[in-house]
Amino acid sequence: MSQVNYDPDVIVDSRDATCPGPLMDLIGKVKSAESGALLELRTTDEGSKNDVPDWIDKAGHELLETVDQGDYWSIYVEKS
Amino acid sequence: MQGFAIVLASEELERVQAVSIISSVAAASEIPVEIFVTMNGFRPFEKEVVENMDFEGGRAAEAMMEAEEVDVPLFKEQLEQAKSLGPLSIHACEMTMDLMGKELDDFVDLFDGTLGVSGFISAAEDKQVVFV
Repeated sequence: MSQVNYDPDVIVDSRDATCPGPLMDLIGKVKSAESGALLELRTTDEGSKNDVPDWIDKAGHELLETVDQGDYWSIYVEKS
Repeated sequence: MQGFAIVLASEELERVQAVSIISSVAAASEIPVEIFVTMNGFRPFEKEVVENMDFEGGRAAEAMMEAEEVDVPLFKEQLEQAKSLGPLSIHACEMTMDLMGKELDDFVDLFDGTLGVSGFISAAEDKQVVFV
């Protein structure tokens, strides 16, 4: 669990989707979000859990935290 | 780097799927991608083949088709999504279509148009060419 209580502006629920579904869903939502928006990506795909932060970094957004929720991960990202 | 020009000449689902994954993420990340479908690469795009999921392929393709617990997005949906998010164009090889007596209407609605070899070389001029 996280020490921080995030209050995301957008929740992208990509649970049960495999690579690159979660990443593609996130990119779509990031593009349409306002600068500074907080997004939460929910994924059950371990590959995406590891790969999505690479995209966030390359695209210049900020990875706030990846939280293990037990049966899925929440990846919190702030749009630049 | 100015992006990728991918020549897709294989009908194997796992290869088409790999092209789709890499192209989709690249385009959605604003890296331009041109896909040139030629030779056997056309078969997976035929409407009947997609409707009946009648794809050719090896073990990875079988695993994708049989996956029940997870949702594996088919290349068609991935490419549609990617085209709405970034610079991705899909071209159909004119020569192969003539050879096989096909029209664009025979394929799922993903193609931007037909292209000859000169057109492809021109589109690929500033890009890294990948042959699949």
